Amino acid sequence: MSLLRGKGIRKTYLTGEVQIEVLKGLDFEIVEGEFIVILGQSGSGKTTLLNIMGGMSTPTSGELYYRGEPLHNADEVKLNAYRRSSVGFVFQHYNLIPNLTAYENIKLVADIAENPLSVNEVLQDMGLEDWAGHFPSQLSGGQQQRVAIGRALVKNPDLLLCDEPTGALDSKTGIQVLRALLKLSRENRKTIVIITHNIEIAKMAQRVFYLKDGLFEKVEVNDYPLKPEELLW
Amino acid sequence: MVVLWKKLLREILSNKGVYFSCILVIVIGLLSYTSMSIVLENLERAQGKFYEDTQFADGFIRLTGYPENQVNSLENLTGVEKVEGRIVKDARLPEDEEGRNRSLRLVSMPFPEQPQLNRVELIKGNIPRGNSPELLLDPKFMAANQLAVGDSLTLILEGRVVHFTIVGEAQSPEFIYAMRSAQDLYPDPETFGIAYVPTSFYKNLVKEGNLVNDLVFSLEPGGNFEDVKLLLEKELAPYGLQSIFPQKDQTSHAILQGELTNLATMANSLPMVFLGVSSIILYTMLRRLMEQQRGSIGTMKAFGFTNGEIIRHYLNYPLFIGGVGGVLGGLSGVGSAYPLTTLYGEFFALPGLESTFSIKYFLFGMVFSLGFSLLSGLKVSLDILRLDPTEAMRAPAPLSTRKTPFEKIPHLWQRFSSLTQMGLRNAFRVPTRSIFTIVGMAVVFSLMTVSWSLNNMMDKLTVYQFREIQTYDVKIAFNSPTFSESLRYTLAHEPGVSHVEPLLEVPATLRNQWLEKDVALIGIYPNSTLYHVLNQKGEKIPLPSDGIILSERLAKLLNVKKGDLILVESPFARNYEEGQEKSLVVQEVVPQYIGINGFMEIGTLQKLLEQEGIATSAILQVYEGDIGALKKKYQDADLVGSVESVKESLAMVEEMIETYGFTIYFLAVLAGVAGFALIYTSNIISLSERQRELASLRVLGLTPKEIMVVISSEQWLLTSCGIILGIPLSFALMEGMAVSMSSDLFAIPKEIPLGAFAGAVGGTLFSVWVAQTRAYRKVKTLPFVEILATKE
Ligand SMILES: Nc1ncnc2c1ncn2[C@@H]1O[C@H](COP(=O)(O)OP(=O)(O)OP(=O)(O)O)[C@@H](O)[C@H]1O
Ligand SMILES: [Mg+2]
Repeated sequence: MSLLRGKGIRKTYLTGEVQIEVLKGLDFEIVEGEFIVILGQSGSGKTTLLNIMGGMSTPTSGELYYRGEPLHNADEVKLNAYRRSSVGFVFQHYNLIPNLTAYENIKLVADIAENPLSVNEVLQDMGLEDWAGHFPSQLSGGQQQRVAIGRALVKNPDLLLCDEPTGALDSKTGIQVLRALLKLSRENRKTIVIITHNIEIAKMAQRVFYLKDGLFEKVEVNDYPLKPEELLW
Repeated sequence: MVVLWKKLLREILSNKGVYFSCILVIVIGLLSYTSMSIVLENLERAQGKFYEDTQFADGFIRLTGYPENQVNSLENLTGVEKVEGRIVKDARLPEDEEGRNRSLRLVSMPFPEQPQLNRVELIKGNIPRGNSPELLLDPKFMAANQLAVGDSLTLILEGRVVHFTIVGEAQSPEFIYAMRSAQDLYPDPETFGIAYVPTSFYKNLVKEGNLVNDLVFSLEPGGNFEDVKLLLEKELAPYGLQSIFPQKDQTSHAILQGELTNLATMANSLPMVFLGVSSIILYTMLRRLMEQQRGSIGTMKAFGFTNGEIIRHYLNYPLFIGGVGGVLGGLSGVGSAYPLTTLYGEFFALPGLESTFSIKYFLFGMVFSLGFSLLSGLKVSLDILRLDPTEAMRAPAPLSTRKTPFEKIPHLWQRFSSLTQMGLRNAFRVPTRSIFTIVGMAVVFSLMTVSWSLNNMMDKLTVYQFREIQTYDVKIAFNSPTFSESLRYTLAHEPGVSHVEPLLEVPATLRNQWLEKDVALIGIYPNSTLYHVLNQKGEKIPLPSDGIILSERLAKLLNVKKGDLILVESPFARNYEEGQEKSLVVQEVVPQYIGINGFMEIGTLQKLLEQEGIATSAILQVYEGDIGALKKKYQDADLVGSVESVKESLAMVEEMIETYGFTIYFLAVLAGVAGFALIYTSNIISLSERQRELASLRVLGLTPKEIMVVISSEQWLLTSCGIILGIPLSFALMEGMAVSMSSDLFAIPKEIPLGAFAGAVGGTLFSVWVAQTRAYRKVKTLPFVEILATKE
């Protein structure tokens, strides 16, 4: 069943006098339970697309449906409800709340989720059990990134959107994190979209979207996705 | 949500200095509001009940003598309800060891019955029996002189020694604030009190016992005082009428009422200043918080927190601060209302004055505190609504790229070091915030200036009067207007007396068209060296040989200026008849701080009255060591009413100033605290805002001292603007205070002495210095590595 469907998605930014079209008409359909990877050069518009998928911004034109419900013309209240109940987001720049500990950053989100996972289990999955009481400023970049992933996971969302979730991680931790993501996707039939620069990670995906200059250059279907531990980091 | 509360508490703790000072300012505001409101209510309640219980009169009449048996007939006049005639005379106590001049005002009462008007409330003991040497005494005099019910008391009345027994303590509504004369300003229960004596006994003690010299009356419902006054004037003119005045001009009532009005004004305005300052601090803080937490807000939005949830979280900051401040301020206000009421009880003898616990003002205070705090959070909350999650997470706070006014003057701008330039730019980065800070500082500065000026005011109202205006040592007041060369000769040859001058003080009505005012005219000896009329600059001005000099307030009330004509009418004029007016030229208008009077050369005044050579008192310059003997000799003399030594009055007044001085410094300190809080916040915010920048500078190798330049240049700019704006504001505030607080009894001087400005500038600079020392300590310990390691 179609979970998220986009039709002719365009996004233009206005900076000062200059208009730049970042997304130039994208069509896609993502099915429930799919594991998708988006690849593309820096500045190609990956984050912009993920933001639109996650209901954080609206396309300049085009249509977007979540489970058949239109999102492209939704108001702020409806978008917020969508983000609250359906989406988990991992930000490229983590965006942790500085004066909350690792535990509390995750707990904050768990508190508003409908059926959240256990905060402690998530911390364990992320290998952060020893760092629960630390503030972001006391964590390394990779640890901060894992808190950010844990915060998205704990919501147990139907749609998990991750913007370079392993960028700051070494291979071992990277694999551990990917395994946790995959577990979620397999066991609970959750849909996952991951942005990455790492072509290896793309081998895990069922489908890979190649984004170039605001258009899908190609969409590759992967009949035999690899397990995280099989990846050559 | 527990997590969010933790976040809030952490944030507050990490900036405890600022939030604490904000709470402190709120506490000051609410403390003053709650305590003053409760005290005001206590006083008004006691006053209202007491006036009603004792049937406080609507009108008061002073005259030479009116037949007692005719008093009732006055009730037939239209508009008059009840009239009560009394004998009111001052009696002296024999000199005590310290040689003080103690006297009692004896008021006749139809004991064992109570009078119809101005009854007394018996506090202790019994009502005197009729026709007996028994009296009631006012409790303040009793306490100050260690007298008790049952004691006997010897008085000297019109030269006769009389032995009384004190049978009770009583209070009359007429003498809640008991002063010998309006010139005194303060009651002095040690040397002056009120006694109530049975009429039947009293009338046999005095010379013309069947005449009353004091009348009080009440008006019929709907009766008009002015109409009644006209009727009474006609009726009483042949009996040596001196004055008829309404309740509102009765000394004790006027002072109590004035105090209540001041208290009400203070209770309504002072707290607003402090709450306003706290709002500025909170607004500044919240605005900074919001800027700092744009990322967090965006993230929370991205995770589906609704605007409502986020705004509620951020409104919890002001609510928390307002709540804590409100509870602390309200409770301490309720607590301090009790001692404050007791303190007022020291000045105002109001039976039934007691402090009641009032939850009402506590709640009002809470509402004010939360309201003001919410107000400061409101605008900031609106900014949250506008934030879009992706925007919030991406961009840092938008920097104003506009040039600062300094940059428009390149010559000046280039002189600043780049660190100073950074600091100055920051002041213009968030202009609303800078403006609020400046306005807040200006308000606090002017409050400080005015507090410091109160010193000058007290001085003008007291010591000045004795040191610069009434420079005589002794004043001998006569029972009836007389003066002669022989008397002068006698006085001048008393041991120690080096100079004698006559003084003539007469009641008069001054009129300009429909505006009129009853005042005392003071006739001064030409080229007097003992009584001076001073102009605005404090310079002595000569008395004109014709015409009159008016006090500023009197000129204003009559709407006249130098050169205008006014009409004068005085019951002291020879063959006085109603409406017998003469005109006088206003020769000069001078400031007068105590009382309102017209001043004339004594000869001119005598001519006006057609009473050659009269005077109501003699003023003397006497060698200090001979004053006691002089007093002893004259105070029992037949024609002498009282002998007053200025030294004694001055000592008493100085003592009073010390008490008042405390209040003044207290107010100055409160204003200082608010000012410090504001300056401190401004410093800390500036520091926190620039943390990253400053951390980078530290990494580049700049010393904390160099980095402080960035902060201090911004702060000095704001402070100087605050002071500059504060100067005109001080004048406006002083003017407002002078207008609202001045009365016929005293006028508040408008000028602000330079010293007051110096004090306020000093206070402000001190605050800046302390705040910067704190900020410097923070800069020194700036965890720059950590700051640069995290993304906001
Ligand atoms: N809010 C915005 N305003 C203006 N331009 C923007 C905004 N957001 C993104 N852009 C521009 O859109 C383009 C695509 O940005 P985007 O962040 O989507 O790239 P990306 O593919 O995620 O790059 P990277 O791999 O470096 O994260 C960039 O050129 C960027 O400058
Ligand atoms: Mg990106």
